[in-house]
Amino acid sequence: MTRLKGEPALQAPVNVSPKRSRFQRILRDKWMYLLLLPGVIYFLLFKILPMWGVLLAFQNYSPFLGFWGSEWVGFEHFQRFFSDPDFVRLMRNTVILAIYDLIFFFPAPIILALLLNEVRISIYKRTIQTLVYVPHFMSWVIIASISYVFLTTSGGIINVLVERLTGSQISFLSHPDWFRPMIIAQIIWKESGWGTVIFLAALAGVSQEQYEAAIVDGAGRFRRMWHVTLPALRSTIVILLILRLGNFLDQGFQQIYLMTNSLNRDVADVFDTYVYFMGITQGAFSYSTAVGLFKAVVGIILIFGANHLAKRFGQGGIF
Amino acid sequence: MFRGKKAKLGLSLFSAGVVLLVGCSEKGSSTEGGEEGASIETIDIMTMSYTPEPPQNDSLVIKELEELTGKKMNMLFVPSTTYGDRFNVTLASGNLPHVMLGDKSPSYISAVRDGAFWDLTDYLDDYENLKINDIVKENVSIEGRVYGIPRARPLGRNAVVIRKDWLENLGMDMPETLEDFHEVLKAFTYDDPDGNGEDDTYGMAISEFEGPWDIMQTWFGAPNKWGFDESGELVPDFTTDEYREAIKWFNQIFEEGLINEDFAIMDPTQWTNPMVNEEVGLIVDVADTAGRMNKAMTDRDPELDDVLDVFGAVSGDHGLVTKPTTGYHSVFSVSKTSVKNEEELKEVLQFLNDLNSEEAQNLTINGIEGRHYEVEDGNLVSLVADDEKKRNEFQDLNQIQMYLPEEKFLKPEESELTKRSNVVMVQNEEIVLPDPAYPLVSKVYAQRGQQLDNIIGDARIQYIIGELDDAGFDEAVQTWMSSGGEDYVKEINELYKEAQSGSN
Repeated sequence: MTRLKGEPALQAPVNVSPKRSRFQRILRDKWMYLLLLPGVIYFLLFKILPMWGVLLAFQNYSPFLGFWGSEWVGFEHFQRFFSDPDFVRLMRNTVILAIYDLIFFFPAPIILALLLNEVRISIYKRTIQTLVYVPHFMSWVIIASISYVFLTTSGGIINVLVERLTGSQISFLSHPDWFRPMIIAQIIWKESGWGTVIFLAALAGVSQEQYEAAIVDGAGRFRRMWHVTLPALRSTIVILLILRLGNFLDQGFQQIYLMTNSLNRDVADVFDTYVYFMGITQGAFSYSTAVGLFKAVVGIILIFGANHLAKRFGQGGIF
Repeated sequence: MFRGKKAKLGLSLFSAGVVLLVGCSEKGSSTEGGEEGASIETIDIMTMSYTPEPPQNDSLVIKELEELTGKKMNMLFVPSTTYGDRFNVTLASGNLPHVMLGDKSPSYISAVRDGAFWDLTDYLDDYENLKINDIVKENVSIEGRVYGIPRARPLGRNAVVIRKDWLENLGMDMPETLEDFHEVLKAFTYDDPDGNGEDDTYGMAISEFEGPWDIMQTWFGAPNKWGFDESGELVPDFTTDEYREAIKWFNQIFEEGLINEDFAIMDPTQWTNPMVNEEVGLIVDVADTAGRMNKAMTDRDPELDDVLDVFGAVSGDHGLVTKPTTGYHSVFSVSKTSVKNEEELKEVLQFLNDLNSEEAQNLTINGIEGRHYEVEDGNLVSLVADDEKKRNEFQDLNQIQMYLPEEKFLKPEESELTKRSNVVMVQNEEIVLPDPAYPLVSKVYAQRGQQLDNIIGDARIQYIIGELDDAGFDEAVQTWMSSGGEDYVKEINELYKEAQSGSN
């Protein structure tokens, strides 16, 4: 399981000169390359080509003057951003949410997958699996509305319950202290089920013989989970963790935006919403590009750092 | 009309020739000036829509308008809730429609500075239907120049809509002072105004939309955004004692349970629901909301006709004042990239002028006579009240209407309530308190306006619900000052002095 999908399984044994051979190989696998083409075009067109746009971060971009007519200002926008009093607050909010996300959300699909794996009645297992997938397909708008209906202090069912039990209501939606738990709870509810897909796929590949051997050795259910199932998942977990770190500063814009109000804005503002407010609502295109670029750079550093660490600890890493 | 038709004919022949010669021609794009100087065939208009199905370009009403103005129209409707975003994105794309609705947002102002829109100041006087009221002209201007034609709105539009039958049930008079107003709120909450023996009502409904607070604080004598201190310097409203007094009172009515507890997170689209559902006794909004609310209430229960009344404001220690609207709702600007020269600009202006004619006003507001409405005794009788499909043929076309120099369209026979709210709007014009800094264009605000507004807006809400005390609010003011507010105040004062010396 340490070998990844996507790693070349075929190493064409060649003994002709390399130049010829490459061309020949391409010719031989032409249909494969044709299949690859749409993907390559997609990345070129939508990922690589728009990258020149990051140059806006070093300009005072004005749409009317256009890219060539706009003034170049170097690192001015970055200076302004880093010296802005908002920077510390945004950084804190984003990082805290990201850490919460890693601690509370990241293990959730793993635990769920382990639990599902222990279920032996196939139809029951599959039903549960399907049911926990469903929220993934709902849009954040719907989830925000559901949260509102359940949590509002004017007749929301959860608050009615809380009031019956404790005698007073809790303003989940507007109190800053409840903002982060609410966001994380929403993510767990929405994405845990979907997150199990990859883990369950990895578990399907574990040989039954290992379990049988463990049983012969006298291992109980918990021991089997610990010594057989989890090690089988280890490389998958590491890869997903590295990928997740690459998006460390991304806190799903839609969700945060929908749950923000004037009472919790202080803890709710993150880089993603800030970019939106500055760029789209205020029209400060260059400034928000600079903020977005900063976020991307942090993401790249984290992804390389995590990959390096994973390799040092003897795991495969992703590249 | 004659001119328009001839121009249109000339143009189509001309462009047909061009197509033959060149073999390709973009729709509506300019060609070297023809005989009549007619070079724009189709005018692209970007504006907002409020209904889910705004009229399509093949709508009969648009056809009539095209007939009337001699121009083909290509309507680009954008839902009002996302208009600001789309406006910025459209600006960024650089591909602007000929005529585009915009408001004085930082991005609009910087687009004006970069020369994206025509300066219309010297042209407007040439058009009978593009004459703008002076206050509004000052409000829409940027550094003294007019870059867009405003869609006129009544200045004194802000008012209070109240359940007069509840007042009668309680034996109370219409409130005239702040004390009266407070008493009414209390009675609406605790004295069972609907007489059903249950504690199911409260005083006033407020939503996430902060307009009502802005209006009510002027009743306390707080300035409208900017006021003058003793030394004649401009200061922001929240640094004044009157402002503090106002938010103290807001906090009091919140603590007393006279407004909905969840106001800070209530979706503004739900705002009037409690009123329609007979849970609440009054709402501070625009006067004309009364008519819409009356309709919603009578739809629900025909018995509820004639239970609403409207008044302008209540007086505090500083007399009777209220917050005016800016007198307009966004402006139509003409793009310099799509409208390339003065001849073309004049054509577009002529088109906008024609849109304000009586005939065009009727088309945009009421639709086509005989199809959408009839005239009886000089009043309008709608034929499509229950026919949504036909209504969709013209609804939202009012979003291209500027009502200049005045409203000329036919109206239905006015109900007592509509008459009342019209009277209130006129009366209000006497007591409105203008924002002296509104016409000024601040660079600091363009850069940091959103954050600055958020700091104080949020602090006010937190103060009202009792999460901030006076010291906490002072701290928020300090934060505002240190986050660029100080520079903003300084800049506004400089700009104001400059403007004053310039105009004398």
